[in-house]
Amino acid sequence: MPLLTDPARTDVPDAPERARAWRSLEEWHAGGPGDEAVSREHPPGAMLPPEGVARRTFLQLAAASLAAAGFSGCFRQPPEKILPYSTPPEGLTPGVPLHFATGLEWNGRTVGLVVESHEGRPTKVEGNPLHPASLGAAGVFEQAALLGLYDPARAKTARLQGVEAAWSTVRDALRERARREDGGAGLRFLVEPTGSPLVQALYARIQQRFPSARIIPCGVGVADGRREGTRLAYGRVLDVVHDVGRAVVVAVDDDFLATTQPGNLRAARDFVSARKPEAMNRLWVAESTLTLTGGFADERLRMRPSQGVALMLALAAEVGKGTGGSTLASGLASLRVPTPALTDAQRAWVRGAARDLLAHRGQGRVTVGPGQPPLVHALAFAMDEALGNAPRLIEPVAFPEAMGQLPGELLDGRVDTLIITAWNPAWTEAVDSGFTRDLERVPFRLYHGLHEDETAALCPTFVPATHPFESWRDGRAPDGTASVLQPLIAPLFPGAVSEVELLSVFAGLDSQSPYDLLKSLWRERTASPPDFEARWEAWLADGVIPGTQSAPARAVLDEAAVLKAAREVPEPKAPEGLELALVLDSRLYDGRFAGNAWLQELPDPVTKLTWDNAALLSPATARALKLEKGDVARIEVQGKALEVPVLVLPGQPDDTVTLALGHGRERVGPVGQGVGVNAYTLRSSSLSWGGGITNITRTGRHHALALTQEHWSMEGRQLALQFTQASFLAKPQALESLQEKPERLYPPNALLKSDRHQWAMAIDLHRCTGCSACMVACQAENNVPVVGRDGVLRSREMHWLRIDRYFLGDPDDPGFITQPVACVHCEAAPCEYVCPVNATVHSDEGLNQMVYNRCIGTRYCSNNCPYKVRRFNYLEYQRREPLTQLRQNPDVTVRSRGVMEKCTYCVQRIERARTVARSAQRDVREGEVRTACQQACPTEAITFGDLRAPDSRVRREHEDPRHYKLLNSLGTQPRTVHLVRLKNPAPKGGA
Amino acid sequence: MAPLFRPGTDSVLRALIALALGVPAVSLAGLLLLARNPLGRGSFSPREQPLPFDHRHHVGDEGIPCGYCHEGAWRSPVAGVPPTQRCLGCHAQVWNQSERLEPVRASGFDGTALPWNRVHALPDYVWFSHQIHVNKGVGCVTCHGRVDTMPAVQQVAPLTMGWCLDCHRDPTPWLRPLSEVANLTWRPPGDPRETGRAVQAALGVSPRTDCNTCHF
Repeated sequence: MPLLTDPARTDVPDAPERARAWRSLEEWHAGGPGDEAVSREHPPGAMLPPEGVARRTFLQLAAASLAAAGFSGCFRQPPEKILPYSTPPEGLTPGVPLHFATGLEWNGRTVGLVVESHEGRPTKVEGNPLHPASLGAAGVFEQAALLGLYDPARAKTARLQGVEAAWSTVRDALRERARREDGGAGLRFLVEPTGSPLVQALYARIQQRFPSARIIPCGVGVADGRREGTRLAYGRVLDVVHDVGRAVVVAVDDDFLATTQPGNLRAARDFVSARKPEAMNRLWVAESTLTLTGGFADERLRMRPSQGVALMLALAAEVGKGTGGSTLASGLASLRVPTPALTDAQRAWVRGAARDLLAHRGQGRVTVGPGQPPLVHALAFAMDEALGNAPRLIEPVAFPEAMGQLPGELLDGRVDTLIITAWNPAWTEAVDSGFTRDLERVPFRLYHGLHEDETAALCPTFVPATHPFESWRDGRAPDGTASVLQPLIAPLFPGAVSEVELLSVFAGLDSQSPYDLLKSLWRERTASPPDFEARWEAWLADGVIPGTQSAPARAVLDEAAVLKAAREVPEPKAPEGLELALVLDSRLYDGRFAGNAWLQELPDPVTKLTWDNAALLSPATARALKLEKGDVARIEVQGKALEVPVLVLPGQPDDTVTLALGHGRERVGPVGQGVGVNAYTLRSSSLSWGGGITNITRTGRHHALALTQEHWSMEGRQLALQFTQASFLAKPQALESLQEKPERLYPPNALLKSDRHQWAMAIDLHRCTGCSACMVACQAENNVPVVGRDGVLRSREMHWLRIDRYFLGDPDDPGFITQPVACVHCEAAPCEYVCPVNATVHSDEGLNQMVYNRCIGTRYCSNNCPYKVRRFNYLEYQRREPLTQLRQNPDVTVRSRGVMEKCTYCVQRIERARTVARSAQRDVREGEVRTACQQACPTEAITFGDLRAPDSRVRREHEDPRHYKLLNSLGTQPRTVHLVRLKNPAPKGGA
Repeated sequence: MAPLFRPGTDSVLRALIALALGVPAVSLAGLLLLARNPLGRGSFSPREQPLPFDHRHHVGDEGIPCGYCHEGAWRSPVAGVPPTQRCLGCHAQVWNQSERLEPVRASGFDGTALPWNRVHALPDYVWFSHQIHVNKGVGCVTCHGRVDTMPAVQQVAPLTMGWCLDCHRDPTPWLRPLSEVANLTWRPPGDPRETGRAVQAALGVSPRTDCNTCHF
């Protein structure tokens, strides 16, 4: 019999270092679940119809449509057409999806992908296991790019000097512009950094034809500090490959697990793979806001962004003292930091990190975030060199590398033709750069973009761009490996033109198609081998071109320059005032995904905020400023002001205001229009990542933030478990009470009779970084709708898989843990007992089945679900528009209004695999069924498989001493188990 | 004074009440029955097609096997309708001047699809795979009937869930050797169950009846 007493504190094993876990500050202060209204599963107002259509009007409309449909509509199926191919594409069987290797380029670096295509429609983005930047994983941006492909708000028609025109007309005008005598003196290109050898070759060709033309990189550029750091330390710009799979990693303001950082998927895999529970590495993080990397840290330190220099000088001095011997070491040892610049806690962290680095020479890594100044990066390189942890340096992959800001003389009076292929510079450029003013002085300015955005509004000539899944291109991974990025579909809007096509007009190569250009480039690059065609086919199939990885760069650390710069830096002082930190948004990047509903509704992994951005403040700072969650505050910095809602974030450093860029877009289509506030208005060329003394005042207004942090609460029970490695190894039986089968009154589930398969899942919290890739994967695979900001405010969000975030302990400096929770497929499922129409029943293979066509929407099941994983379609969320329907997975039913739904363990994948296997007279084998979340996970934290298979990984994890069952005392027997997270804090008083 | 109500009034009232209750009840029941009836669903009527394609001729006279055009049935959830080029494979040689085949030639030349009308439609919340049925010894004729005798194809089986489950619960009467799956005229030599049991044992036929077998 399920226990009726609240096992909130009793079902968690006793561990001395266990800190109280909590989901929000409100919950911490209340000592229990917070806001009563929010934490209820169906809060007041959840059932309200949408505003705008009154109930009477709605009923009238419903009655009218019923009458129009006639009675025959009740029982005659609507007639359907079958449209076979005229000439079938090669290798395609209707009904069987094909998978193509391609990739997406981000900030000049490519992630290799495999895209599933149903009869020519790309429906799901997955990682390419053969690609070094993916290893089979796909991040949130890569997966959500699919929604961008089918965005109805995409630009459709070209304009020439304000008049709608066909691309051929625009091309003729461009040819005219390219026929010039001045050597290109009046010709400028504003471009994104790219690693694409083809585009770089086009640039070279353009530069050759027009020696005076300039190709100028633009965009927020995530690697500016690091790039300048390599220039300082090694004398020239180099790429640093993030190899964080080390025994000791010291990250200073470097969120290497963040989705916004190039190479984050690989970094996450490398780091977590070096963190085996039995032999753990140690992560030291000092950071200026709470990040996923900080949440993973063994020793986390809060610092203000400006303290990076002081902290690194102190760390370098400690490391130098401990290393000894070399001139570099003694030089580093001579660095001094005045006492008030760092707090005692910060000095203690520095000593501890230095001790750990010294104890693991050759196996450590010091890594610094792109927002920190070049000197901090250079000191990190110097320390790594002194400790024998040589950084992995390669020649830069991307060209032209982002500069963060435009040079002042960019658009002087001589410029007559400006071609913009970079994303929306009018939006991303610093407010004081004068870019928009200069732009309007250029007589011919062309913008090439996916949307009619803010820059398009300033450019009379506009060419709609193809989506990356619609055009041929190539690209390079962060380690230099090249890939051919093939299109999945012909341009959905026939007017769209690829960047290669546009540039080839100026390169004088527009008689050749992008495909021919690409193929001939690679034929040339590989010295036209006789078997080129075969190789080309293999590259397309694999998604990587073998042997193209960059060789390590030959670079020697310029010790003198680094030490000189370190000595000449203004002496760090005690910090004062408030500091502003601008960051790239974890979901919208620089704003380019503001029109993407999946990403807008994806909760930020740390703050759990959707459909908004907010100024993050620490609890102490918020108290001092008398600000609370949702209060609108006025932020002033260097004479510019912005009104932003405030969100109090535990773990945020005091006196630091963190604000995400990319929100508040003005011309972005119906999804992102006016969502959030535009933080670019505070971004000046001298403060590209913030800083300076900031002033914050209350406005007295309030803004409701659509936070999911308290939704679907499991009533304050401690569910995401974390131990220190030492305490767990000392007492591994601590979890026994969460593993054993509790006594039950009901007989064992007689339905679980299949001796063929028993499906199960395991989620390893030790590997989960909280990146949310699984949530987007689930949304794409299972046709999960978005509900909009109002819907989220009413707890109507539909994500089948949520990532719970718990804070542990002290609200000022808490621990942090993430826990993915979807339906756990209880063997004795409480939902099944209460459904009056048997719409949720058990399968013989252990799946808790949800039968949509039986569901009448009583919601009893979700009321009785202790895990709060069932989702109800309050409204008709699925838009039946052609573009939306093209995207949807044809294997999964599109649910309509009034139907309950939840995680199915991706049963459509099980059944497809079963059909194939059983048709071949065998059973499904281990590895043939991978759920969407499992497939996307960069760290392989999610395992799915057959408990009956003796060698299955899921069975091993179900027997692992770290496994436990959520709410085990209820006797639900979940089929999804979680594995506890272990931490490896430095021993007190010395490593 | 004469009585206000005559003796028969009660009966008239009763009859009126019975009518008032009975007519809606009977018509509702009638509608419900109609909705479940092939007549009302219109499922058993021959379906018009954009051109007079005749299975009698192609299957019956020429003996073209099912898999020649519907090869997807063996390796895909959908059996598929042949691409126009398959039609033109023969009809570029035979009947290549025929008036009736003009739409086929047009489709073949300009690449547009021939808009066939679907005959066997399952609701969108049902997932059905031809592949597994065909590879487990369920013959084409079992669900689609004697297509070789139909001038225009029509549905012969109700395609309701109960009908599906009948076979999923006890498939033996309907199973046949893999070699005879596409044979429209094959009859089990003796007791159909006997043959079915042999096929079941040989192919490991174990149909499932859990909801998730078809609904997800």
